[in-house]
Amino acid sequence: MDHHPIERLENMQKNRGLPGSLYDALASLKLTLFLFFALAGASLVGTLLPQGLAPEELKARYSPSIASWVDTLGLSDLYRAHWFQALLVLLCVNLIACTIQRLPKTLKILKQREDSFDSHKLLKFNLNHSFTAQLDRDDARPRISNVINKEFAPLRWVDQPNAFCAVSEKGRWSRLMVYGVHLSVLMILVGALIGSLYGFKGFMTIPEGTSSNEVTLFSDDRMAILPFEVRCDKFDVTFYDTGAPREFRSDLVIVDQGQEVLKSSIRVNDPLTYRGITFYQSSYGSMLREAEVEFKDRESGKVHTLVLPFRQTRDIPDSRDTVQITQFSKNFHQFGPALGIVVFREDHSPTGSMILADKPEFHGNKVMNYQVKVLGIKQVPYTGLQVKQDPGVWVVYLGFTLMILAVVVTFYASHRKIWVCAEEQRAGGVSSRIVLAGRTNKNASTFEEDFNRLCERLENELTIHTARGKPDDQ
Amino acid sequence: MINSSILLSITTFSYLLCTILYMAGVIFRYRPLLTGGTLVGVVTFLVQTAGILLRWIESYDLGYGHAPLSNLYESLVFAAWSIMLIYLVFEFRTRQRTLGVFPALFAFLAMAYASFSTGIDSRIQPLLPALKSNWLIAHVITCFLGYAAFAISFGISILYLLKRNHPGNPSSSGVLGFLPSSKQLDGFNYQMILFGFLWLSVGIITGSVWANSAWGTYWSWDPKETWSLITWLVYAALLHARSIQGWRGNRVAWLSVAGFACVLFTYFGVNFLLSGLHSYATR
Ligand code: HEM
Repeated sequence: MDHHPIERLENMQKNRGLPGSLYDALASLKLTLFLFFALAGASLVGTLLPQGLAPEELKARYSPSIASWVDTLGLSDLYRAHWFQALLVLLCVNLIACTIQRLPKTLKILKQREDSFDSHKLLKFNLNHSFTAQLDRDDARPRISNVINKEFAPLRWVDQPNAFCAVSEKGRWSRLMVYGVHLSVLMILVGALIGSLYGFKGFMTIPEGTSSNEVTLFSDDRMAILPFEVRCDKFDVTFYDTGAPREFRSDLVIVDQGQEVLKSSIRVNDPLTYRGITFYQSSYGSMLREAEVEFKDRESGKVHTLVLPFRQTRDIPDSRDTVQITQFSKNFHQFGPALGIVVFREDHSPTGSMILADKPEFHGNKVMNYQVKVLGIKQVPYTGLQVKQDPGVWVVYLGFTLMILAVVVTFYASHRKIWVCAEEQRAGGVSSRIVLAGRTNKNASTFEEDFNRLCERLENELTIHTARGKPDDQ
Repeated sequence: MINSSILLSITTFSYLLCTILYMAGVIFRYRPLLTGGTLVGVVTFLVQTAGILLRWIESYDLGYGHAPLSNLYESLVFAAWSIMLIYLVFEFRTRQRTLGVFPALFAFLAMAYASFSTGIDSRIQPLLPALKSNWLIAHVITCFLGYAAFAISFGISILYLLKRNHPGNPSSSGVLGFLPSSKQLDGFNYQMILFGFLWLSVGIITGSVWANSAWGTYWSWDPKETWSLITWLVYAALLHARSIQGWRGNRVAWLSVAGFACVLFTYFGVNFLLSGLHSYATR
C-alpha cells in the first residue's frame, strides 16, 4: 500500500521559527487526534453529569466546593460551555490550516506526470510482474496499448532511450475526496452557528378553538411574538387497543393580517412551515376554559354566581370589586383541582387565594370578605407546539449530503496506477521483456486481483497471438 | 404452521452451529469445516431473512403495520442479520474463511440474548407516533450496518493483536499461522472500519434529519446521540491515526477495540444506564 506522499512532504519542512511552528502545530494531525479525544471525553462527561440544572438544584446535588467547580467549568451546561465550543472552533481552525497546507501539495501531485522510469525501478514495487514475449518491441507496443486501454485506462507513453514505457492511471481525482469530507464538517458546524445566531426555538400552547401568536423561547424564558396568528381548530389523539397512543393531530390555521392563509393538519413527524417558521406537534393536555364560581359576601350575606373565563376579569355585582381566575392546578398539593382567584379592589393591593374545587367546606376557601365556592369547571384540550426558525438548517443539510457523497467515494474510489515497460532482450532480437508494476492508495487487495488479472490477459495476448502473427496495427 | 418466531429460533441455533464449524475449522486447521461454516452461515442467513420478512407481514396482520426495527428485540435480530450480511459479502470478496468465528459468534450471541433474556419482550408492539417515519427506518438500518462492520472489525483486531503479540513464530505453524498475515489483517481491518464509518455517518445523519422532522432539532445532545458521536469521533481518530507515521498496526487495533466498546455502550449502556429520548428502546 502506498504511504502518504503528503506526509513525506511535510517531514521535509524543518526549522520554521515560532510562527511557522505554531502554524504547523495548528495544521498537524496530532492536534486533530487530541481534539477528537478531547471532544469525545468531554461529551462523555456530559452524558454522565445531569445537564441543565438550575442553580438551586446544583447546590442541592453537590457539596459547595464541587458545586463551584461544576459552575466554573460549566459542567452542568457542558455542550454550551465556552471551553467546549472553543474545542469545536479549534477543530475548524485545524481543518482549515490543514487544508491550506495540504491542498496545494495534493494538487501538485495530481498535476505531476512522470516522464522517466525504467524496468529496474518497476521491479522494486510491491506489486510487479515480468515475462518474456516472443515479439519485438514495435510489435508488442500496440498489443499492450490494446489490452491496457480496454482493461484498465488509457495509456500514456513516456519512451526511454532503449525501452517503450507507459503509465496508466485511474481515480486521480479520488484524492480530492477527503477535502470534500472535511468541507462537509465545516459546513455542518457553520450551519449550526448560523442557526444559533439567527434562529430561535420555543414553545406555544393553543387551546382548541383559539389562536395565539406568543412563543415562549427555550433559551431565556422570554416571549417572542409571531408576525401572524396560529389557530387550533381541533386537537385529536387516537389510541391503539393496547392503550398506547397511535397518533396526535392538530388542525391548524395560519391567520396572517386577518386572512386565513394556510390550513393544515400537523402530526408528530409531519410539521407545518409558514414564512420560515416551523410548527411541530410536541405535546398536548387540557387547560381551564371557564369556571362557575359562587361568591358569598360574609358581611352582607349576598350571594352571586359568576361564570369566569380563565384569566379574564369580571365585576362582582353590587360592589366595586373585580375578580379573575389567574391560575389553575389539576391537583393542588394532593387536594384535587384548585383555582387561583384574585380580587381587585380600589385602594387595595390585589388579594388572592387557591380555592379547592372539590372541598367546598375547606376553611381556606375565601378571598377578602368573600366565601368562595367552585360550582363547576370546564376544561378545553390544548395542543403544545414546538416552534422554531433555523436559517442555518439548509447549510447543515448541504453539509450532510456532501459528507455522505464524499465518504462513499472515499470508501469506494482509489487512485490506482499501472506502469509498463517493454525492452529488447538483445539488440535486434525478436523477443522482449515486459515489466509491469502497480500501486494504489487504497483497497490493496482488490487492486492486487485486478492487477494480476490484467497481467494474465497481457501475457496471453503477447504470447498466444504471436503464433498467428501480427495483429492489425491501429 | 411456520411463523416468524419458529424461523428465528432455528436461526439462533444454527448460528451456534455455524460458529462451532468456523471455530473447529480454525483450531484443527481443516478447510472443509470452514466451508461447512460458510454453508451453514448462508443458509441460516436466508432463514433469518425469511423470518424477518414474515414478522413484518405478521405486524400488518395485527393491524400495526411497521418494519420490524422498532424495539430492542427486533433491533438485536437485525444486528445479527447485518453482521452476517456484511461478513458473508466480505468472505465472498476476499475468499478468507478463517475470519468467520467472531462474526458468527456475535450473530449467535445477539440472537440468543434477544430470545432468552427475560427482560426483552419479543411480541410485536404498536409504534409510538414519534417512530412513524421513513427516516427512522433509514436511521436504524444504516446505524446497524455501521455497528455490524465495527463488530467484525473488532473480531479482526482481536486476531491481529493475538497474532502480533504472540510469542514464538506465529507465521509458520499453529492456529495463528493458519490466519491471514498481520499485514493482511491490518488491511482488512482498515477497510472494514472505513465501511463502518461510512454507515455510522449516514446513520447519525439520518437520525438527525428524523429528529429535525419530528421535533425541530437536528441535534439535542441526548445521551444516545452523544454516544454515537463519541463512537464516531473514536473511529475518526482511528482513520487519521493511520496517516501519522508509526500508528499502524497495534495502536489502530486497540483503537478499534475501544471504538467497539463505545458501540456497545451506545447500544446497551445508554438504554440501561442513562435516560433520554431513545428510552423506548429498552422495552
Ligand atoms: C470531524 C472532523 C473530520 C472528519 C469527519 C474527517 C474525516 C476524514 C476521512 C473520512 C478521511 C479519509 C480517511 C481515509 O481515507 O483513510 C480523512 C482523511 C484525512 N484527514 Fe480528516 N477528518 C476530520 C478532521 C480532520 C482534521 C481537523 C484534519 C487536520 C489535520 C484532518 C486531516 C486529514 C488528512 C491529512 C487526511 C488524509 C489522510 C490520507 O492521505 O489518507 N482531518 N478525514
